[in-house]
Amino acid sequence: MTGNWNDRRFTRRAALKAGAGAGAVLAAGGMGILRTGGSARAAGNGYTGVKGEINLIATDGWISLPDPRNPTKYFPDGYAPNNRTTYLFGFRDVTSMVQAARTATGNPQLIATDVAAIRAQKGKIQASAPLIYVDENDDVTISLSNLGFQQRPDLTDGHTIHWHGFRNALSLFDGIPEMSISVPIGRTFPYFYKPHNPGTYIYHCHFEDVEHVQMGMTGVVFVRPAQNKAPIAGHPGPYAYNDGDGSTAYDREYALLITEWYLQSHWEDAHIQQPDWSEFKADAWFFNGRSYPDTLQASSGYDANGNPIGFADPRLAYQPISALIKGNAGERVLVRVVNIGYQQHSITLPGLPMKVVGKDATLMRGRDGTDTSYLAETLDIGPGEATDVIITMPEPSGSPYDVYPLFDRNYADGYLTKSGAHAGLRTELRAYPAGTLPAQTTPNA
Amino acid sequence: MTKTLTHARKRLLRWWIAPLLGLALIAGIETTGAPKASGVSVPATGIVCSHPDSNNVFKLTARDGQISTPDDNLVYMWSFAPTGGGFQYPGPVLCLNQGQTVTIVLKNTLPEDTSIVFPGQDNVTSSGVPVSPVYQGGNLVSLAQTAKANGGSVSYTFTAGQPGTYIYESGTDQDKQLDMGLVGAMVVRPSMGAAFAYNRSDSAFNPDTEYVMLLSQSDPALHRAVERNQPFDMKAYHPHYWFVNGRSFPDTIAPNNAAWLPTQPYSSLVEFQPHSSDPGNPFNKPSLVRYLSTGPVTYPFHPHGNHGRVIARDGQALQGPAGQDLSYEKYTVAVGPGQTADATYTWTDVDGWNPDTKPIPVAIPPLANLLFKDNATWYSGSPYLGYKGPLPVGVTSYNECGEYYFMMHSHALYQITNFGIAGGGMLTLMRVDPPGGC
Repeated sequence: MTGNWNDRRFTRRAALKAGAGAGAVLAAGGMGILRTGGSARAAGNGYTGVKGEINLIATDGWISLPDPRNPTKYFPDGYAPNNRTTYLFGFRDVTSMVQAARTATGNPQLIATDVAAIRAQKGKIQASAPLIYVDENDDVTISLSNLGFQQRPDLTDGHTIHWHGFRNALSLFDGIPEMSISVPIGRTFPYFYKPHNPGTYIYHCHFEDVEHVQMGMTGVVFVRPAQNKAPIAGHPGPYAYNDGDGSTAYDREYALLITEWYLQSHWEDAHIQQPDWSEFKADAWFFNGRSYPDTLQASSGYDANGNPIGFADPRLAYQPISALIKGNAGERVLVRVVNIGYQQHSITLPGLPMKVVGKDATLMRGRDGTDTSYLAETLDIGPGEATDVIITMPEPSGSPYDVYPLFDRNYADGYLTKSGAHAGLRTELRAYPAGTLPAQTTPNA
Repeated sequence: MTKTLTHARKRLLRWWIAPLLGLALIAGIETTGAPKASGVSVPATGIVCSHPDSNNVFKLTARDGQISTPDDNLVYMWSFAPTGGGFQYPGPVLCLNQGQTVTIVLKNTLPEDTSIVFPGQDNVTSSGVPVSPVYQGGNLVSLAQTAKANGGSVSYTFTAGQPGTYIYESGTDQDKQLDMGLVGAMVVRPSMGAAFAYNRSDSAFNPDTEYVMLLSQSDPALHRAVERNQPFDMKAYHPHYWFVNGRSFPDTIAPNNAAWLPTQPYSSLVEFQPHSSDPGNPFNKPSLVRYLSTGPVTYPFHPHGNHGRVIARDGQALQGPAGQDLSYEKYTVAVGPGQTADATYTWTDVDGWNPDTKPIPVAIPPLANLLFKDNATWYSGSPYLGYKGPLPVGVTSYNECGEYYFMMHSHALYQITNFGIAGGGMLTLMRVDPPGGC
């Protein structure tokens, strides 16, 4: 089996042929914060997900936390531009910009760094990284382009994509710099995947991992099950898993990515200082890159030139993913709770039972089919873990909706804002009367 | 922020010169009372069992010594050594069979009292009386009868009732003595035989690919204080080193009994071949990893490459009252303080990618246009398992035959550092060889 294989170079044209059809799906303009191409809810049963090529850029940027009552040397950061507080590394989705440039120029071989409007995104990451979702068994390519850092031109760090939890991975696409390659500044690499297992996963950079993950290069990726294309009679989809009985069917879905930041290290990275990572000590906590009460703001997006649009608060222009959960009475709401921080968390939703249907991209079933799903009001979730829960929305008693807080049981995981709010791992679930909200078109909408 | 672990890399190169699949000579890790069996060989990777002597006795000595870390630091430690043998951290892996009655004789050369507790074992006795907590002036000072400081001894006897993976550890002044290193792993083989983890047919594994991963940590400031007989305020405790089997990466992947790690005998490199449709393939049975945590926090241990199937926790097979299978696949196994977890691993070439018959449908850029960190790589130059390809000039390859390497590590990522420097700590590798091996 061992052999010498002469480096077979596929042409980019061949690659495009392999991904043909996918591009058309993605060509939709108005690129959102979420990787939404082709994801409009099809009549009847669920999403079609993303096929083909997703284009991400890696760079640095500044985001905003609620102003603290007690500022420190590190927070807010004195280098931060107007309205921002904290330095990050991260990813941005530029798929529709690449597609538009390919269409405009008639050149299907254009890559992200060929496009001036994309190069202009250097220094403008988003937190958390774009939410990516794909269909089981599709060919998926995440092309990663490294734009370099605006704030730290002295750093020549590479970047990678590690699809955390991908079963039977190939080492070249596992994203570990030491085990394969990383992407240097100015260059692009296609991470290729054929996902065969539905569920909730994480993606993140693995270059100097303790730093790049802490600095914000983290996002959620999930795989939609093949069962969406062959729904279970009497239990219309979509579904979280190939459950065979419709038990994971849902009406709306949300992803909540937990991170926490060691603000001194962010300040030190911005100020050309060397953090000691074994001194890690969290002092700010996030769902989807936002600290309460920012978590409640609606999701926003970007225009065709990559400029942020649709945000309610300019502070959050580059923190576009909402953590607010909404649903009509009787609807089943799937929440994918994902932890890519460095701490164990206990996420609770008092008053509403959550049915745990999956963990770490695995349906809650024994090998002999034994149902191991269970009801919980609190989710104990550690670094690098994901838990999928389904909540049946209750009938609201008030108008226009009832509020159920969803938060970290450790109240110390937060800080006081200027206005006296508790900034941290906290969001809300809002229960509306049946028929109030229109059907959901994208996750976290 | 790029940093170079110069010493660590030198270490790596040193060990990679040694043949991976060769055998390492045993170096004083026999724990039996019998004379040391010099020349007995142990595999380069995988579990290294210590067995009781013909009288069903393990003889251990609590003593001090030093371990080395990849940043070329030396850390003063206490641990359980085989009596008559050299210091080692962690203590020897005690292997016994279900139903076997054993006695552990502990001699204490440390300057304070110590003891051993066996969580998960029932009816442990010490000199004929049940093991019980020790109080002095109304204060609990030990969870078990102690061996007195500076030469005392004590013995414990029990019958291994249930198969599984268990910790043995000091029951005395635990927040100090466990961090100092008085910990070890114990494996009880089921009555169904050593090819099974438990008395369930679905717990069969490949006995050639069985691994122990004891997860722990250390605050070198505590260890320095103990060495100098100075006080240490445990409220100031802050770890800076994290270990798998007492080693930090990259030492974790060095072979068992590596000569340059004389007090840290245990490798944690996992190595196996793909699952296949060939019914005679021994790797169709999974590899077994026995995780144990003796640290004070939960370690979220994440293997790359594939999920593990968690088949047991704390020495209890995951099963329902009627034998239902309650095992589960996880991409992160959280191992809490004092817990153990058994997980099985396989890797399957699901899509059958092949450079000639089924090429991966993306254009891989020329490798010279990509970054090989520190100009060194485990990558073969080809994305296909079992194939090699040219690497850019100046890049050192550690790859033998096109095998894959995946990381396995704590996902509390500050724990995969050596005193703050990335790329170390509680991190090891899983190596998937091509079918048939290298």
